Amino acid sequence: MASSSSKASDSSSQRPKRPDQGPSGKDAAGLVALHGKLAQLKRQVQSTRLAAIKERVEANRKALQVHTCALFDVAAAAEVASRGAEGGNALSRGAAEGHRRFVGWDSASGPGERELVHVQEENLVAGTLVLSSSGGSGASHRTVVQLVKLPVVDKIPPYTTWIFLDKNQRMADDQSVGRRRIYYDPIVNEALICSESDDDVPEPEEEKHVFTEGEDQLIWKATQDHGLSREVLNVLCQFVDATPSEIEERSEVLFEKYEKQSQSSYKTDLQLFLDKTMDVALDSFDNLFCRRCLVFDCRLHGCSQNLVFPSEKQPYGHELDENKRPCGDQCYLRRREVYQDTCNDDRNACTTYNMDSRSSSLKVSATILSESEDSNRDEDNIKSTSIVETSRSKITNSEYADKSVTPPPGDASETENVSPDMPLRTLGRRKISKHASKSNDHSPDKRQKIYSSPFPFAMSVLNKQSVPEIGETCPDSIESAVDQLPSLDDPNKKISTKDMCAGSTTNTTENTLRDNNNNLFISNKEHSISHWSALERDLYLKGIEIFGKNSCLIARNLLSGLKTCMEVASYMYNNGAAMAKRPLSGKSILGDFAEAEQGYMEQDLVARTRICRRKGRARKLKYTWKSAGHPTVRKRIGDGKQWYTQYNPCGCQQMCGKDCACVENGTCCEKYCGCSKSCKNRFRGCHCAKSQCRSRQCPCFAASRECDPDVCRNCWVSCGDGSLGEPLARGDGYQCGNMKLLLKQQQRILLGKSDVAGWGAFIKNPVNRNDYLGEYTGELISHREADKRGKIYDRANSSFLFDLNEQYVLDAYRKGDKLKFANHSSNPNCYAKVMLVAGDHRVGIYAKDRIEASEELFYDYRYGPDQAPAWARRPEGSKKDEASVSHHRAHKVAR
Amino acid sequence: MGPTSRNHKSSQKDVAPNEAKPPRYPQRNRSITASASASAFASPAVANSRVAKERPSSSTAGEGEPQETVLKLPSIPTLPARMAKLVPLEGLGCEAAVGSLTPSREREYKVTNKHTEGRRPVYAIVFNFLDVRYYDIFATACGPRLSTYRCLMNGKFALLQSYLDDDMNESFFTVSWACDIDGNPLLVAAGSTGIIRVINCATEKIYKSLVGHGGSVNEIKSQPSNPSLIISASKDESIKLWNVQTGILILVFGGVGGHRHEVLGVDFHTSDIYRFLSCGMDNTVRIWSMKEFWEYVEKSYSWTDATSKFPTKFVQFPVLCAEIHSNYVDCTKWLGDFVLSKSVENEILLWESITKEENPGEGHIDVLQKYPVPECNIWFMKFSCDFHHNQLAIGNRDGKVYVWKVQTSPPVLIARLNNPQVKSAIRQTAVSFDGSTILACTEDGNIWRWDEVDHPTAPVPSKKQK
Repeated sequence: MASSSSKASDSSSQRPKRPDQGPSGKDAAGLVALHGKLAQLKRQVQSTRLAAIKERVEANRKALQVHTCALFDVAAAAEVASRGAEGGNALSRGAAEGHRRFVGWDSASGPGERELVHVQEENLVAGTLVLSSSGGSGASHRTVVQLVKLPVVDKIPPYTTWIFLDKNQRMADDQSVGRRRIYYDPIVNEALICSESDDDVPEPEEEKHVFTEGEDQLIWKATQDHGLSREVLNVLCQFVDATPSEIEERSEVLFEKYEKQSQSSYKTDLQLFLDKTMDVALDSFDNLFCRRCLVFDCRLHGCSQNLVFPSEKQPYGHELDENKRPCGDQCYLRRREVYQDTCNDDRNACTTYNMDSRSSSLKVSATILSESEDSNRDEDNIKSTSIVETSRSKITNSEYADKSVTPPPGDASETENVSPDMPLRTLGRRKISKHASKSNDHSPDKRQKIYSSPFPFAMSVLNKQSVPEIGETCPDSIESAVDQLPSLDDPNKKISTKDMCAGSTTNTTENTLRDNNNNLFISNKEHSISHWSALERDLYLKGIEIFGKNSCLIARNLLSGLKTCMEVASYMYNNGAAMAKRPLSGKSILGDFAEAEQGYMEQDLVARTRICRRKGRARKLKYTWKSAGHPTVRKRIGDGKQWYTQYNPCGCQQMCGKDCACVENGTCCEKYCGCSKSCKNRFRGCHCAKSQCRSRQCPCFAASRECDPDVCRNCWVSCGDGSLGEPLARGDGYQCGNMKLLLKQQQRILLGKSDVAGWGAFIKNPVNRNDYLGEYTGELISHREADKRGKIYDRANSSFLFDLNEQYVLDAYRKGDKLKFANHSSNPNCYAKVMLVAGDHRVGIYAKDRIEASEELFYDYRYGPDQAPAWARRPEGSKKDEASVSHHRAHKVAR
Repeated sequence: MGPTSRNHKSSQKDVAPNEAKPPRYPQRNRSITASASASAFASPAVANSRVAKERPSSSTAGEGEPQETVLKLPSIPTLPARMAKLVPLEGLGCEAAVGSLTPSREREYKVTNKHTEGRRPVYAIVFNFLDVRYYDIFATACGPRLSTYRCLMNGKFALLQSYLDDDMNESFFTVSWACDIDGNPLLVAAGSTGIIRVINCATEKIYKSLVGHGGSVNEIKSQPSNPSLIISASKDESIKLWNVQTGILILVFGGVGGHRHEVLGVDFHTSDIYRFLSCGMDNTVRIWSMKEFWEYVEKSYSWTDATSKFPTKFVQFPVLCAEIHSNYVDCTKWLGDFVLSKSVENEILLWESITKEENPGEGHIDVLQKYPVPECNIWFMKFSCDFHHNQLAIGNRDGKVYVWKVQTSPPVLIARLNNPQVKSAIRQTAVSFDGSTILACTEDGNIWRWDEVDHPTAPVPSKKQK
């Protein structure tokens, strides 16, 4: 090591002339030197590695020795324990005899003497083993050893370990039969590779080279010494098994890692997650939550489902509950109370919330104020104190923020509307002071009032901050501040109102105003806005969607711990006003924030209508049966019926038109679709009286669907005895008979040795004709995958594939339930039927006739004519396991 | 290569027409005797093993108590899928130390004996390492027959016992030693029928027949510090943990995270009683843990009800799944915390799994050493080690045995044992306690014995014998 490092330093000492020439200036000699250096470094890395291995192996050896010695002690202890005891060595008797039972070469004759013959004969009749040896050396002897018989034990039929499933599962990505799967065919004596053609090979994701530490060292060394030219990269390629571009990339990574290690700018976890937008934060929710099964990580419908939002949303009320009580100290209702007086004049001035013109900004305020008129005036005095207190802390906060924040670009209109939102009179006054600097008429009063605020602390801070903006008037007013403390309400009301007017007029001169907006109030507002992170904003918007404009609920349910009710409320009005103004005022007026807001809204809409989510997991959906190039033969398996088509909810927002996914697929729209209930493509369910639904007269039954309590008019179930006021559970006669799969009302199935072949499924209790017995569950695999697996299964002669619909095949080989063991018969007592249950195709097994208790169950697998295994074609033989190999994939099919 | 090897094997296996797998692995029993009754054993062993030993005895003590108390165990939730799928890291600085094929001649061996067991392949041969008294005893499996022999000092074998399965279709692929709680040696064997036979060698009677596997059984190992426990690897893609004392099937390892094809080999960890390895035709090596289910193991000792009523649990996810081979992995073995594994690629690998502590799902395999074994590309060729895991012996297709010094770096080939008469493939080897005797069983039904030249004593610490 030492020598190598000194060499390295030698070479570096030669280098100084070159380094500044840059990559292009490298001459051949430099590259040669680099080559040599790298080779040396590589050797060094390798020898270090070997030394490390040696060390680890040695350490492991020592540790292992301790363990083996311990085990030896244990082994020896048994001997010690038995020492002296009679028969302590269980094998000693045999061993003693064994001396006479030499087998193998006689040591006297030595190895390799050919004449020596040892014969060992089993005499099965006598149950003996005769050892005899005869050789050239003459000494031959016979030994008879009694064979101990191991009595025959009943075997169980072969099976492969399987997992119970109570509902179908989609195949996990890693469960696919790998394309490299090789298996040995005992009959043909050849190895078969199960992947068919090259189109299996895709997986275009090239494996990225993972750089080891040693390689990093090489790259770092080379780039440090010689820069990152093409030549250097080429040299590196000889040492590192990666492409030049990868190396280049890596070297940059290394550079950052080594150079910038110190400048670690990290954020706290909280900030990290707040920085994400809700879309990102909800990504896992959207991906993992199944909206059909209402569970996370649904194995049936998979991740990355299309997000379908129903078009019919519950409208939410704009108005708040009348008698709402404040939700807490920070509730905006308290602020409302403060404003109550000020609003009196404006009451009823405006009843609508929408505003179309800039001039209506006043109305905005008025409306907001009028909202508060409902609140109880009597509480005012009690609460105002606490409000004021909270306001103080707010002010201080904003003070601090203000120091670092540059003048806000927010537009005047926002400012205007915020003012009524702020919970404090003092704030309002401060705001006024801002305008005062613009319009002199108001300024004296305002300033006085500002400083009349009862909070010396706030004042002083304010003083420092607002000196530049407000000007020299400050000192004077400070003096009078304390005196004017009590007089608050009336002036405030007027002034704030006036101020609003002033504000709206100043919109036109917003630029100048903006410059001057740097007073406390603005900074306060800016402060709060700047702290509305993307996530909070998104949550807020969701809250609006869910609760309407109810800041209490939004704050409590969605922004708990992040934002107070007041903050939400102020944000709400800001935001609402800004958005309302948008059409007229145009972008120039909009603050950056509002702009972003709008951008978000648009983006959000896009996000909802997009059909495919981007996550890679959706890839498994790529295998559709159409693209798989199946032989047309397969279609006939359906026994004359057309294939069932897999249903996928469409995202149509209104009525489904021609481009609706459901219409295109030829499926009905279901309750999971986005379209409205009046969509013409919807399946309407049945109206069967008495909820019998067991005959073809029921539209559901006729369409091979189970009834759905959400859809059908009279089909429903209930639980309980009605004592709680719920509808009575109806007796069997009334309960819908067509929801058995949905309700999992299956029979008890037993697994046992079949009378026919292998395992069989038996029923525990007698059932009647057409009774539902159970579901045939399994993995949902694509037809393409089924073809691959089928080849393997056919070799093993046991196939649990079941064609489900045109997209999926059920495979119960590794996952399923006991019904997978029901054998085939051409004269069966059961039948299988594919039912559409809540949008999913499922296979139900039904009794064809009355079946007595503990009878074995059979059904007709309905193999396609040329796909049936040989045994299935024979009239009687219904044996699964003794069949000869079929060269077509055997599929079960429902009728 | 894989294919050919397989063909090779199946063609060789005339025995079981359906079963293309002749197992012939060397079972060195590393299991040690600790009969479970051994609360007397003041074993200085690892804490783990001590715990293991004590528990059975305590549960035995509690046998008389009402069962409900035992049954009240809280139900154990199935583990979430947190299996790590690891691949080896390749590149500069991750090279493995490869052993040279030039024998060091550290020890010299010569053929001292040969015994013809029969015409069918001998798939398994294994020494009893569980009990010092029986260190010179080994067992073989040949067709439907199991035999036990004593290795005598003069290079001879003495046949002790021979067992014949009445089902002549049986072909035993594996044999292993175990102990009942009284310390009696048990012979555990299984093969093509999937029925595990437990024979009490002291009484020469069948002790238990364990039925449950849905396919042939490819390997059985017993837990060294708790030798009533055995694991069996089967064609049915599962591994099962049994208590041979009571005949209870305790745990089944398989399912969603389990092997996707026949399991060919298993091995208990030397010191960690919870962990074991498995490998199989799906080209993977998996590490399993039964720690979360250990209470069921304890329960199995005191179970008096029908064995079928035992609440057997499924363990669906291994701790780790290593994809380091590209073909069938037919033999694997712990070497301390490292793992030796062998595919049909003419070499044995020694590797360690490196996982991040904070995130066990991530990591890689660090391949440390490679032990080349020429002409070893057919499957079901198993290797074995001596008691202290110092040397490893593996046969190849041509009847040669390579003896590697396994715990040095780089690995040293101690000797290459070849004899012109040994021509057929060696399915399994057995190395005696101190490595001075090496046995090999071949495809053509012979057992060969090599002894160290000039080795003063017989294969076993014979001083202890009498």
